[in-house]
Amino acid sequence: MNLFSDIVVRSPWLYRINAGSCNGCDVELATTACIPRYDVERLGCRYCGSPRHADIVLITGPLTLRVRDKVLRVWQEIPEPKVTVAVGICPISGGVFRGGHSIEGPIDRYIPVDVNVPGCPPRPQSIMEGVLLAKKIWLDRLNGIAPGHKEERHVSLP
Amino acid sequence: MSDIFSLISQSATGLFHLVVFPGGLFALLFGLVLKGIDRKVEARLQRRVGPPLLQPFYDLVKLASKETIIPETANKTLFMYAPLLGFTGMAVCLALLPVPGVYYGMENMGDMLVFFYLLPLPAIALMVAGSSSSSPFGALGFSREMTLMFAYEVPLLLVILAVAMQVGGEGSAEFSLRKIIEYQREHGSFGFTLSMLPAFVAYLLYLPGTMGVPPFDVAEAETEILEGPLLEYSGGLLAFFQLTSAMKLVIALGFGVVMFFPGTVAGGPLVNIVWFAAKCLLLMLVALTLCKAATARMRIEQALSFYLKYPATLALVSVVLAWVSL
Amino acid sequence: MFRFLKLLGKNLAQGPSTDPFPAKEAHTPERFRGRVVVNPEQCVGCRICHHMCAGGAIRIEDNEEKTGYNFTVWHNTCALCGMCRHYCPTKAITLSTDWHNAHTQEDKYDWAAHYSIPYLACAGCGAHIRMLPPQLAARLYAHSPVDMTDLLKLCPSCRQLAAARREEISNDTHEQE
Repeated sequence: MNLFSDIVVRSPWLYRINAGSCNGCDVELATTACIPRYDVERLGCRYCGSPRHADIVLITGPLTLRVRDKVLRVWQEIPEPKVTVAVGICPISGGVFRGGHSIEGPIDRYIPVDVNVPGCPPRPQSIMEGVLLAKKIWLDRLNGIAPGHKEERHVSLP
Repeated sequence: MSDIFSLISQSATGLFHLVVFPGGLFALLFGLVLKGIDRKVEARLQRRVGPPLLQPFYDLVKLASKETIIPETANKTLFMYAPLLGFTGMAVCLALLPVPGVYYGMENMGDMLVFFYLLPLPAIALMVAGSSSSSPFGALGFSREMTLMFAYEVPLLLVILAVAMQVGGEGSAEFSLRKIIEYQREHGSFGFTLSMLPAFVAYLLYLPGTMGVPPFDVAEAETEILEGPLLEYSGGLLAFFQLTSAMKLVIALGFGVVMFFPGTVAGGPLVNIVWFAAKCLLLMLVALTLCKAATARMRIEQALSFYLKYPATLALVSVVLAWVSL
Repeated sequence: MFRFLKLLGKNLAQGPSTDPFPAKEAHTPERFRGRVVVNPEQCVGCRICHHMCAGGAIRIEDNEEKTGYNFTVWHNTCALCGMCRHYCPTKAITLSTDWHNAHTQEDKYDWAAHYSIPYLACAGCGAHIRMLPPQLAARLYAHSPVDMTDLLKLCPSCRQLAAARREEISNDTHEQE
């Protein structure tokens, strides 16, 4: 069982949802995917076009009022087990848009977020660190381990 | 009594060819490893490290472990059986795939035509999947897949015709793969025959289209129509599509090897299997991986006009040359 | 037309240019704007950073006993713009090059830097004041003839009194002459 879940987490397919982001974080996500220097594909990741194929969801943007229902719907379409990563300060706290009249965020008011990657935008390595952390949480979830003490959950460089 | 015995032994060998070699297990493993190599080499061509070699296996295990969602508005029966359509088509097709020096498929029959009819099955499965998923993107993918299929089937038919006419001679055509292999053993591989060279190039150009590889991945364009027909598929059903694609890769490459480079080497069947695999790999690297690493996606009408202009013309040249040389 | 083949060949020969990041520490430029770090020794609590902060990541509040103030930087709201560093008059705020910011949801509300900076009880009346940091004072009163070490421990009103007293003494000596 352990080996099985070990293999399962080697293929985390990423899906990104833009919840009203300024596009900065999205560019950074595209950088992580496309530029040979970062190359997430060597971690087994692949950006997929359909929410139905996703394992790790990367959400950017402060969740604006207009996009809220669509984001929630798309998020619901993703098959279980999924891990949600909030990329950038906007989905985590609202960032510089906090308190705006059209901001419904932070995103964890609506969606159970698992990993936060703050930054405006976070650098690609930071996003990769977040994906690794999400992988770890996914593995724990597959093995039926309850979320452990936070000290154990920090990504340690192997 | 002996009839029954021969029937049983026939069906037993048939089952062996369907499940173990060259179909079933062998083709699945070989196809997935080929896909792994493809991704690795593509990454290297783009100065990346690339995923591990066994990544396609990991993907399959992952997909099998995921939840499978069936959309409420979809036609459930069609949606469930569409992946199986392509899968079974490819499984049957693989049982007929000759491995030169080891296995020759059906004896004395027009199995080349069977290949021509079975090869588009995964594409048809994708069309069924796209139209049954009741998603607008699926419908878009369906129409694109259909257009693309019409485009690349024309050169394929002409290539088959050229090879068959070259072998048949005297104005007739020979559609038995066994005969084609034997003809090439006597007269040299078609890959090195001048009159067949245009057909070979046409087949090389046909490969990326049929495998849905850039620049011809218009039907499953993940950035514009969200993977089109595969949009609604998840979990185990998506894994079936991946398996089908791996098997189709083996068939498309193996078919090309049989048609153009069926040479064998001295040694046991195992050596010949490795030789066959090496030729498939080389064909894949040239036709698919290079293509994938270097190009961006075409628009659907560009792909259509490309296929009807260049590969079709090249294949037609071979047909004419085969006709004239008699 | 076939220039791309040459390029691909070159790529293949040169090998991957990927950063071995998760296996090895990534290169960070020296002037990289990472997590905000405050030096509580230098902070005078002027709140210009709080005023400048676009995201509202900085919070400065007196503690319950009013014996000091709490300086909090919420990293999850900080846009790393560096405005606080730019406007800080005492150079108490710096941006480190630390970008290891990914954390789990449980840590979300702990992802902040808390500093508690004590007030000083005025040597004269006992009122709570934020003492001028000695380094800053040294720079400020470099040419002053008066010894400031004791004066800095007084609240503004006590300092006024002290100044008046000093003036008185100097006047007296003047008259005696």
